[in-house]
Amino acid sequence: MSMKRILHVEHSACTSQLCQIRDKVREACHSLAYSESDINLITLVIDEACTNIIRYAYNGNPGRIVLEIYKDENEAIFQLQDFAKCIDNSCLELRKTNLLEPGGLGLQLIYKVMDFVQLLPPKGSVGNILELKKHLPKGSQE
Amino acid sequence: MTFVQKTYLHYQLLALTGEVDLHNSPQVRKQLLAIVGSGNSVIVDFSELSYIDSSGIATLVEAYNLAKNKQLSLTIVGARGAPLQVMELTHLNKVFPMIETLDEIKG
Repeated sequence: MSMKRILHVEHSACTSQLCQIRDKVREACHSLAYSESDINLITLVIDEACTNIIRYAYNGNPGRIVLEIYKDENEAIFQLQDFAKCIDNSCLELRKTNLLEPGGLGLQLIYKVMDFVQLLPPKGSVGNILELKKHLPKGSQE
Repeated sequence: MTFVQKTYLHYQLLALTGEVDLHNSPQVRKQLLAIVGSGNSVIVDFSELSYIDSSGIATLVEAYNLAKNKQLSLTIVGARGAPLQVMELTHLNKVFPMIETLDEIKG
């Protein structure tokens, strides 16, 4: 079975856009038959990934975020693309162990909720694509 | 997101409504640190809070650490739904005093 695209949205990399992105993720996850609990957590980690792009990839400078969601046979695939300076996989390494110390919580949440996390090569000469995968709920798989 | 601050017994109660994210968590941080910084124990009311991200959680952690250093307290009341899930996922529900209703404060 080939991947089916569920969502394609593009937003400016601005904190005021996060609320709209969350709404679209929630709607897409409903269509994928995730439970309310899973929808809450998936929405959270997509928000965290967008937050990291705004904070660290663009460093507060203007930019764009493209979010695409695909449905595969057994999983949903969330791809977040930015057009900032390329980063390497070391940026996805978890360093923090004490939750009461500042920093790194968003990345921890992403790893806890998602089944698979990776950086894909950018489609052009700049940017990054973060790919997150989550198994579909039983009964919704085709 | 909106918040209301009021006095409850000998605590300052900060009631959050709506969604806390990177866009508005600096406002919550400013308010929360001001409360604790001025020597008040604080209750953060999550009853009408539908969402909180890691920047909001980091704000709570910062205020909690400040409160602890000042021998004050930071208690969360009424967490449910997505905010409660975040607290559980981070195990911070085992760090922060969390109660279901304000009646538990009286008790």
